[in-house]
Amino acid sequence: MPNILVCFKWVLDEQDIKVRPADLSLDSSRAKGKISDFDRNAIEAAVGLVEAQGGRVDALTFGGPSVKNALKDVLSRGADRVLWIADPLAETADAFVTAHVLAAAIRQHGPYDLVLCGEGSSDAFNQQLPVRLAALLDQPCLSFAQTLELQGDRARATRKLGDSVEEAEAGLPAVASVLGEMNKPRIPTLKQVLGAAKKPQIEVPLAALGLEAGLLRPRSTRLGVRGFVMNRRNIIFKEPDAAANVARLAASLASEGLC
Amino acid sequence: MAGIFVYSEDAALAGQLLTPALELKRALGQPVAVLAPDPASAAALAALGPDRVLVLEGASGSPEALAPALAALLAQEEAQVVLVGATLRGKHLAAHVAAVLGAGLASDARALAPAEGGLGVQRILYGGLAVSDEVLAFPAVATIQAGTSPAPAPSAAEVAIEPVQVQADARIRVHRVEKAAAGGVDIAASRRLVAVGRGFRTREDLDLASSLAGALHADLACTRGIAEDEHWLPIERYIGISGRTVKPDLYVAAGLSGQVQHMVGCRESRVIVAVNSDERAPIFEAADYGIVGDLYQVLPLLTAALAK
Amino acid sequence: MDFLLTEEQQLIGQAAREFAREALDPVAPALDHDGTWPAEAVAALAGQDFLGLFLPAAHGGAEAGFVSLVEVLEALSRSSAAVAAILAHHALAAYAVDRWGTEAQKRTWLPRLAKGEVLAAAALHEHGASPLMAVHHPEGWVLEGVKGFVRNAGQAGLIVASAATGEGRRSLFLVEAGASGLETGAPAETMGLRGCPVAELRFNSVVLPDAALLGPADGGAALEAEILALAALANGAMTVGIGSAAVEHAAAYAKTRVQFGRPIAALEAIQTLLAEAATDCHLGRLALRHAARLLDEGQPFQVEAAMVQQFLGRMGARILQDTVQVEGGFGYSEFMPLPRLFRDMAGTTLRDAPADLPEAVIAASLLA
Repeated sequence: MPNILVCFKWVLDEQDIKVRPADLSLDSSRAKGKISDFDRNAIEAAVGLVEAQGGRVDALTFGGPSVKNALKDVLSRGADRVLWIADPLAETADAFVTAHVLAAAIRQHGPYDLVLCGEGSSDAFNQQLPVRLAALLDQPCLSFAQTLELQGDRARATRKLGDSVEEAEAGLPAVASVLGEMNKPRIPTLKQVLGAAKKPQIEVPLAALGLEAGLLRPRSTRLGVRGFVMNRRNIIFKEPDAAANVARLAASLASEGLC
Repeated sequence: MAGIFVYSEDAALAGQLLTPALELKRALGQPVAVLAPDPASAAALAALGPDRVLVLEGASGSPEALAPALAALLAQEEAQVVLVGATLRGKHLAAHVAAVLGAGLASDARALAPAEGGLGVQRILYGGLAVSDEVLAFPAVATIQAGTSPAPAPSAAEVAIEPVQVQADARIRVHRVEKAAAGGVDIAASRRLVAVGRGFRTREDLDLASSLAGALHADLACTRGIAEDEHWLPIERYIGISGRTVKPDLYVAAGLSGQVQHMVGCRESRVIVAVNSDERAPIFEAADYGIVGDLYQVLPLLTAALAK
Repeated sequence: MDFLLTEEQQLIGQAAREFAREALDPVAPALDHDGTWPAEAVAALAGQDFLGLFLPAAHGGAEAGFVSLVEVLEALSRSSAAVAAILAHHALAAYAVDRWGTEAQKRTWLPRLAKGEVLAAAALHEHGASPLMAVHHPEGWVLEGVKGFVRNAGQAGLIVASAATGEGRRSLFLVEAGASGLETGAPAETMGLRGCPVAELRFNSVVLPDAALLGPADGGAALEAEILALAALANGAMTVGIGSAAVEHAAAYAKTRVQFGRPIAALEAIQTLLAEAATDCHLGRLALRHAARLLDEGQPFQVEAAMVQQFLGRMGARILQDTVQVEGGFGYSEFMPLPRLFRDMAGTTLRDAPADLPEAVIAASLLA
């Protein structure tokens, strides 16, 4: 009966973010929050394991004040309770800070047999938090898992690593990060949404974690963000006669020294 | 102590990392050291101009299994900058090292340069929508994708190769590793590419693209769906946000719509050409030249025109 | 945080939108083309608890209320108004059973309706030629006549039918689809909402026990009016969903369609069209949520429902005409979703019978 913790991040939906043409700054004013895409896969994986084997799923998140919007959402997706840390510090925290905060919360509210995360968040996609967590907790990390099983006190994963696929195994307690292709997160049913109100939401004040100031100072600082804009020629040939279009394209390629 | 350290389990990629490493050496006045996984790559990398080459001995584990040992080594050396090749294994390794060093880590970093207070980098955000400029305090760790820089020119300077003993982390047991069937070509090195998407109805129809690639002296690449769902091309040919990033002189996008998740992998190509039957496909906004038409008609005509 | 929606209602709307994208977007065009019953989609509706959406938890429903109903219907309609219509018409009949059923009737039907084991239909309208009459006999009731435009006919296992039970008096009955003498006509070929079957129900001396009476004998007119008020909200939600999809589609198109060197989105006429359509959808949605909230709170809601019906009825056809204008020649051709949306909206804004005129309901409340 495993005790599983899923870490998740509340992010802005990047589909709603617009680039202002005048200065390429980002306009997030219409962007709604969502649970980061691959974190949903992690939640689904945890819930699936517990449905099969019994046990419990806790969800944990560290964010700014908007993180309160995440709580019923994550509970409706199958977590039994949610631990949440809301602090303005989160707005400028990097993975270094976040890993320390989450590790401290895990030590305080654990122990957990398994800590699950998505492989990366859909906003910054830093792809480092799960491994950092494992290092801080001194646990093995099964990263980039496409499949994940728990067998007694061991976890087994198929890791998809670009040019190779690896079957790996580690003793519990362990950390794992999951790929988006691992599963299809279920859509909460009405009863699951309404049932979320009955599940515990536990606020964990940052101060209560007892972290020294040096661990809460980010090691990387963002200087600026600008929208990426493609500035291409956009010379499009769309005559009805395909041969004519081809001729003009060939001529263009020749002018670019490409044929 | 101090120093700029470079590592990738892929020797070619490690070579490419030396270019930004040597640039940082000039700016920061610190020596460049390469961590080589074996003697053969050590010798090859030694010829590219580092000040030191450390060859790892005693464990033939995956990069991730070597992470604790390398982290301890880098801590001992008081490394100020650590550059790791951005394979997935490399990213795992880099994250562990960063945690042990108490360092920031810029994933898929570009445009590395000294900045006030540390190492300046650029990163992509929101799936390709935006670019962010960041500064990492020292010590700083960064992972860098293949193809971001070329390898440096060979250097005649003699470099001693120092063996370093490392132990693999035994906590993860690997039962089986299956290497993906080699696609033969490293598309990140190709100067010209023809990329295919869902506009092609069958695997055999990719021949139209192969013929065009032949006429252009180009290699084939594809979108995520073609590699991961259809398995019509090997995974190393898939270009996109969780695939390869390429910067060829010519990128021909045939029968693909041009969504951000794909374009982020190829949008620094010098010239982008699109062929698509849907005038409103986003690819046309991202293209220098394009033809609105049926690829089944256009590609053979284009192949013939270029063959002349 | 939306001031009209609770957190749960927002999450429900979010889940419904996800569901619509995943389960309905892939099948909507083919469904419109073939018009075959979307069994898989209906089973998926059951899996999400949509078929028992507002039914009591004690009977297996989700008890999520009517604001949730309109959120869900709107979300589904953005992808497939036909599937939304199946849910809506099932909901109308389920509402009647829950609202006026005896304990025995509720115990018999509500759990199965909530699970989707039985689908329901409301047979309230008539062509006029042979209105459904119900005569009481010692054995029970005998029903004779024809109900027209019954949505879900042929698939529904339970029908809530209204009949004349005397001079100017009406009653509601629960009729099982297999009742002897009950004939379902051939499904009509409809302009829109294809996939949601609509047919006549012919009652040839159908005998029903006394226990089939739903609600008070001869009290059916008021009950019918209430069901039609809920129908107004359901149709309104579908109209807003269809309309919002049409506006989004047309706006995206306007940005990319270039004429005379500029995207047509830059033309003032186009901007006006899109602005009016978007405004109407927005206002319609707010009015809808408000009326649904009245219903949630057990308050009278029929006048507000009539107002929603009146506003959206006029708006519906105009939106679609306007957005087809924006897309110009492309909008008219069948491979774009707009023609399907246009035809579906004709279905959700239909005025069913003279007696339903929402204007009459509103005026009555002002002049009483």
